[in-house]
Amino acid sequence: MQNLIHNVTGQWQVSALSASETPHWQTDKTWQAGLPLCVTVDVEPEPVWQTASLIGIDFPAFTDGRGLSLATLIRRIGYKGDLRALGAIHEDVLHYMVRCGFTSFLLPEDCDPAVALACIAPYTEFYQGSVIQPAPLYQRRARG
Amino acid sequence: MYRYDDLDRQFLHERVAHYRAQTERYLNGQLSEDAFLQLRLRNGLYVQRLAPMLRVAVPYGTLAASQLRALSKIAREYDRGYGHLSTRQNVQFNWPELAEVPAILEALALVDMHAIQTSGSCIRNVTTDQFAAAAADEQVDPRPYCELLRQWSTAHPEFEWLPRKFKIAVTGSSNDRAAVEVHDVGLRVYRDQQDQVVFDVLAGGGLGRTPVIGHQICTALPIAELLTYMEALLRVYNRYGRRDNKYKARIKILVRAMGADAFASAVAEEWQHTRGGPATLLTTEIERIEKQFVMPTLHQHTDYSETLAQERFDNPDFSRWLTHNVTPHKVAGYACVTLSTKVIGVPPGDVSDQQMDAVADWADAYSQSEIRISHEQNFVLPHVAQCDLLALFKKTKAQALNTANVGLLTDMICCPGGDYCSLANAKSIPIAEAIQRQFGDYDYQHDLGELDINISGCMNACGHHHVGHIGILGVDKKGAEFYQISLGGHSGHSQRPASLGKILGPSFARDEVPNVMAQIFSTYLNQRHDEEDFLSCYERIGIAPFKETIYAKSDS
Repeated sequence: MQNLIHNVTGQWQVSALSASETPHWQTDKTWQAGLPLCVTVDVEPEPVWQTASLIGIDFPAFTDGRGLSLATLIRRIGYKGDLRALGAIHEDVLHYMVRCGFTSFLLPEDCDPAVALACIAPYTEFYQGSVIQPAPLYQRRARG
Repeated sequence: MYRYDDLDRQFLHERVAHYRAQTERYLNGQLSEDAFLQLRLRNGLYVQRLAPMLRVAVPYGTLAASQLRALSKIAREYDRGYGHLSTRQNVQFNWPELAEVPAILEALALVDMHAIQTSGSCIRNVTTDQFAAAAADEQVDPRPYCELLRQWSTAHPEFEWLPRKFKIAVTGSSNDRAAVEVHDVGLRVYRDQQDQVVFDVLAGGGLGRTPVIGHQICTALPIAELLTYMEALLRVYNRYGRRDNKYKARIKILVRAMGADAFASAVAEEWQHTRGGPATLLTTEIERIEKQFVMPTLHQHTDYSETLAQERFDNPDFSRWLTHNVTPHKVAGYACVTLSTKVIGVPPGDVSDQQMDAVADWADAYSQSEIRISHEQNFVLPHVAQCDLLALFKKTKAQALNTANVGLLTDMICCPGGDYCSLANAKSIPIAEAIQRQFGDYDYQHDLGELDINISGCMNACGHHHVGHIGILGVDKKGAEFYQISLGGHSGHSQRPASLGKILGPSFARDEVPNVMAQIFSTYLNQRHDEEDFLSCYERIGIAPFKETIYAKSDS
């Protein structure tokens, strides 16, 4: 049993995921339109991935920022579905991941889901724009 | 100076609260050593040989007097009454308690300061010319663009976990005092023929184990696209930089592996996607930031040079100090003053709480309440009226900040070395001290002229030994501390391009170093033509005559 943090109509929630609920992940070699796709952090994103039912990015280490750039690019090609971080992720990196377009997180077994949930949005504002809020802070400053 | 508003302060307070919670989780055993390491680094906290070390960011080396007083208070309350000016214009404290760091960060936040991203594999504090907005030779004040980069790079969601640390330096003068050619990214800001602010972008420079001069990959980048271009550049590095070996993870290795042209093309291609996008800077924002750096209104002074000449004549110590520590200001009647921290018996860059308070008072009295830190580890008062120079000079003596040695032999750059740093192979502070003791005589130094001696305790090159006219590097030889000497390096100031030093030959034991220095100096003095400085002489005669003198003698 692993815990999944996901965004349900604007609210972050924790759900326990049983083995039978594990998606039938395909690699970028075996993937076909409509199936869930799980990629490593070093792949080149393909526009056809837009049709995936779910995309997962497998982090080899929580300090590996390639997955953050990859998530940004997957959103740029127009993928609108659930984008999941899995592998060696860490609760203190989730808030960066959210801003790069991730919408769910498969927590490692040693990660307390309550702590992870509490780590997801430690800041009210950020200086620079992001996938989920493209306008930088100064544009909101000017309006405010 | 940039003034924080409510949004800047809100972010800073949230950051302190965030780190306080992380520290508590660590102390309660809820956060692993490995995970906490990454988080504390991004909040400035290293664990050194003897104790943790907290590196406080001094954005582009600029401090208000009130901020320096806050640092002084921290030195008294949380440290042993002193701090250290680093080669990246930051301030380091060597003895804080890990559990007290959140309280220190809170004290910093009260004066709009922080330690965010001063270590770890992320975009570090942006550095620049210590004489920004004041130097007579400056074309454009680089600080507004440093501040735009600071805001953009702070907690950037995509670039917080890079392959390795990432350092950006900016110069607005062709006399490059920021060493932009030896940074991961170096920016030269100037006005083009249409009077628009533009940037030349250099990438892939750096010191460390593999010293490299950066390559220019973009010319005349418009200010509006500064951040969209940086986003593209960082994305290419973040995706393709090596992560398998930390010694090959800096951007310079990627640029070399791809070739500078191919790297430039990859960035240009990615830039096609980001250019004109949401990170494009609006004119209103550029102007909002520029406005905060408008030069303070300086009172008009009549020409003071005649009186100054008389004061010089009456006071030889003052005269020496004017010659070496005072440089031309862009406004007539003003000067930039460097307060040297390099005195015998004090590690280069170390300053006491009393010195900090005194410098803050002098800044209030004589320099528009503004202070700079130079990458040569000295304090700078950027806007001093010429008629106040003598009064200021007289005050500096009581604080031992009056040494007239800026740019001379004893004004060395030196990392903390094996006395403090757990990475070091050898001590560097005792080397600096031995050289200062042997060659501290003013007339001898003055005769040698402009000379940069840079000392690093290991290959990481925090003491910038590759770009010293004379570089000294601590190495480990079968468990013993030895020192490798290089000649002919240069960081790119005085209108010369940067160059990397050449290794002289086999390394020396610590007690041999001062004698080797003496031989290098005498070779130069014997070989120089008239007014030729050390570097020009070296460039003309090469390394051979130095080798012959030094190794021939040691063989006999």
